[in-house]
Amino acid sequence: MKGRGSATIEKTLSYAVLGALAIGVLFPFYWMTITSFKTEEQMRSIVSMFWPKPFAVENYQQLLAKTEFAAWYGNSVFVAVSSTLLATAVGTIGAYALARLKFLGRGFMASATLITYLVPPSILFIPLYKQMQGLGMANSLSGLIAAYPSFTVPFVTWLLMGYFESIPEELEEAAMIDGATRFGAFYRVVLPLSAPGVLAAGLYAFTQAWNEFLYALVFITDGKLRTLPVGLASFITGDVYGWGYLMSGAVLTTLPVIAAYIYLQKYMVEGLTAGGVKG
Amino acid sequence: MSVPVPAASLPSKAAVNVGLGVGLKRVLGPDYRMGFIFVTPIALLVLSLVAYPFCYAIYLSLTHKLVGMPPVFVGFENYIRLTWDGFFQRAVVNSFIFTFGSVFFKLILGVVMALVLTSPIRWRSFWTGVLLIPWVAPTVVSALNFLWIFDGSLGVLNYLLVRVFGILPQGVGWLSEPGTAMASVVAVNIWRGFPFFGISFLAGMKGIPAELYEAAAVDGASVLQRFRHVTLPGIRNIMIIVVLLSTIWTFNDFQIVYILTKGGPGGTTMVMPVLTYETAFGAQRLGEAIAVALYLLPALAVTIMVLARYMRKGRRR
Repeated sequence: MKGRGSATIEKTLSYAVLGALAIGVLFPFYWMTITSFKTEEQMRSIVSMFWPKPFAVENYQQLLAKTEFAAWYGNSVFVAVSSTLLATAVGTIGAYALARLKFLGRGFMASATLITYLVPPSILFIPLYKQMQGLGMANSLSGLIAAYPSFTVPFVTWLLMGYFESIPEELEEAAMIDGATRFGAFYRVVLPLSAPGVLAAGLYAFTQAWNEFLYALVFITDGKLRTLPVGLASFITGDVYGWGYLMSGAVLTTLPVIAAYIYLQKYMVEGLTAGGVKG
Repeated sequence: MSVPVPAASLPSKAAVNVGLGVGLKRVLGPDYRMGFIFVTPIALLVLSLVAYPFCYAIYLSLTHKLVGMPPVFVGFENYIRLTWDGFFQRAVVNSFIFTFGSVFFKLILGVVMALVLTSPIRWRSFWTGVLLIPWVAPTVVSALNFLWIFDGSLGVLNYLLVRVFGILPQGVGWLSEPGTAMASVVAVNIWRGFPFFGISFLAGMKGIPAELYEAAAVDGASVLQRFRHVTLPGIRNIMIIVVLLSTIWTFNDFQIVYILTKGGPGGTTMVMPVLTYETAFGAQRLGEAIAVALYLLPALAVTIMVLARYMRKGRRR
């Protein structure tokens, strides 16, 4: 009897805490979304505070018609996709080598990769900017594509090392006894098995590149070449300044990340817990 | 890893080639060819995008470097000047307040999140997914959302507190008043970062054998005692890793403060990464800017070394 009562209390308490956390987490997104459907007039007169009446789509129309938002979207897609493909390719083979192959310097490289992952961008952005300037790649999207692997590659590598280590070595040994080369064992046995891990890692790399702000802010001076985060943030200092505008841009910037996340939530959570931190 | 062994005696020419191959394998490891090919891209990236810029940063921090001018070597002058600069000192203090305030509450909320997600609830993966959203959403978007929520005149926070709940007599300029600005930016950082703590602790708690809890229950341990003596020791390593990781990330967080306050009002939220940026691209003093970024390098290096050890140890088990 007593046990049952305390179980009920525990359950109620859990749901109460969950509810509170969920409201706290979701409220800013709810607020962002409804703001994007309000007119400036609705906002200023503080009517229809929590549900826009009527739903206005002008913000979206103006955002696409009057600003460079569409160009920024294209830039972000281009930069994030290119740097993700690069990071995933480099990270996958690197992680396999560091997790499985036996060669001189493996331990050192594994440590170097991990330490690289931990070095914060705030101490690298100025020299990297100078470097890109020297190469003539400052103020160009290729500069961002070249710089983003500095954080995506170590991350993808570290994540996938954990993944590859969890695949039984006997599978490769069996393949090699059957006549496969070392590379064949990797390509035909390990890689297909780790597809979910590679997908999750790639997705992380994508969101990191999509969300990156500091390098894009510093490297890009041409308004047309901005990526979404920097473009959005430029609305708060620019001449065109309206919350509806800004929030409609915020909604469109968040959508791909959330969509990818909902689709791959299971993989992402598993990837994060299996490979990200494991203690 | 293989121990280097001197190549054996070298008889005929054909045997030399074979012997060389075997010798190389002995010295460089059995998979050296594929290994070297596979890690070369990473090695190049690490060298060109992290190691080289890092060394260049150290060099630049020892110079007077104005934008468009060649650097002039001045030794530790930038660091010495910063040490006695009141504005810089405040930025250091602010950075510590921002970091430890954020990490402390992220830790608590993370434990709470992990505990409720391990308790017997329905739709566990749905809840987990919802609570992780701040972690995957673009930080710039979240910062802009809060900029709007905190807005002094039309922001919804004031609307709720004043008009709906009647808690405050009048609205507060959350980000524009010195008294509330720091707490507000810390709150946003907590909001964004606690899910990572939660999901990591959740993974750790799932790894604790159920028998431990059963044994503790048989011994008459209360819920609190079980938490204290079973749960906490079980996630100790993960806690250390996550706290150190978050400390580094939070200390170097740029976008939240930059978007919400740019360090204001009156420098009350000026943290070191924002000061680095302002010194470099506002005041155009690159050498001094990098000195700001590298000022606490010894502490950062120690943290990274300790953290890397824990992370590798966690992997080996």
